[in-house]
Amino acid sequence: MMAEPVDEDRVIAWLDGELTPEQAASVEEAVAADPALRALAETHRAMRARFAAAFGGIADEPMALPSAEILPFADARARRMRRLWVPGAIAASLVAGLFIGQIERPAGVADRADALALAPGLAHRLDTQLSGEPGPVRVALTFRARDGAYCRSFTATHLDGVACRTSTGWSLRYAAPGTASGGAYAQAGTDPALAGAIAAMIAGEPLDAAGERSARQRGWR
Amino acid sequence: MDAFETALIRILPRLRRFAHGLTRDAADADDLTQRAAERALKSRAQWQPGTYFDAWAYRILRNLWIDTARSRQRRDKVIAPAEDAEAVGAPGDAEAAAERLFLMRAMDRLPDEQREAVALVMIEGLSYAEAAEVLEVPAGTLTSRLVRGRQALAKMLGGVNDG
Repeated sequence: MMAEPVDEDRVIAWLDGELTPEQAASVEEAVAADPALRALAETHRAMRARFAAAFGGIADEPMALPSAEILPFADARARRMRRLWVPGAIAASLVAGLFIGQIERPAGVADRADALALAPGLAHRLDTQLSGEPGPVRVALTFRARDGAYCRSFTATHLDGVACRTSTGWSLRYAAPGTASGGAYAQAGTDPALAGAIAAMIAGEPLDAAGERSARQRGWR
Repeated sequence: MDAFETALIRILPRLRRFAHGLTRDAADADDLTQRAAERALKSRAQWQPGTYFDAWAYRILRNLWIDTARSRQRRDKVIAPAEDAEAVGAPGDAEAAAERLFLMRAMDRLPDEQREAVALVMIEGLSYAEAAEVLEVPAGTLTSRLVRGRQALAKMLGGVNDG
């Protein structure tokens, strides 16, 4: 029986499971007999495994469909700042209404009726908690946005973000998957994308403790 | 939720992974995924029930990626890449995100036609026939792009992670 010549194409096809059992057997035999071919096969096998390990997890993260109402494209800078695709489970637990896996442009966007209103539990904590207080939700920073709204950056179990107070309640302006679930609370604000979002929104300086108390007293209006 | 939306939501995570294989950072990948999902929803009338939905969806994302290649290159020149954001932003540990970014940057150095073939087969795990269908090229063309891409990658990664 004449075996077909075994070259790199053939080895790769073998690793990819593209050969018939007979062809695979002949490649296997050739690889076993030839150290150079064996090294080549090992290189490609290791590379395939490395990519599988690095990229595999992405496909395990559930995602939500975009809503029918698509936000207009922001400029490139704003687009790069917003974090997309907060996994569906987070959406279901934290956000009331249809979570579109997408957040508002960092500044100056009029809130819509379907804006990302936060679930009552989280909203309540944003209403009452001062920055730095321990708990399942931690507020890191309170500041006023350019549109005058009070905004607070927070870390919750599954969600980090910035929410701003509108006439109807707290609405999410920036979100990223939570960093707190790993046990150690990351100091909100160390994520460069979050810091960038805040920088784009903030007017003036963050509130100090006294300013925060008085804003709370006024119901964040 | 109808059959179309069910199929789309099921494949979205894999589309996003494919996007990570094509683009040079996670922000671009999420952007591309978002736009592909929007396009798929808008073009749902073009999908014929009974045909291979996944290939249709992969093709939408791939075509968007090709369409934006030019503006992508232009933009890369004016906007500094947000290197630091990548390692921190992805779920899971920073090391895994850094490794992924490293591999994305290696992929980014491949010609587009090799990169898409490698992403579909080596990252997405499509068969050669399925990948050829997505890219609408003959099987032989797919195979040769795939092999050349893998050879180039092996060379790039050779000194870093010997198997």
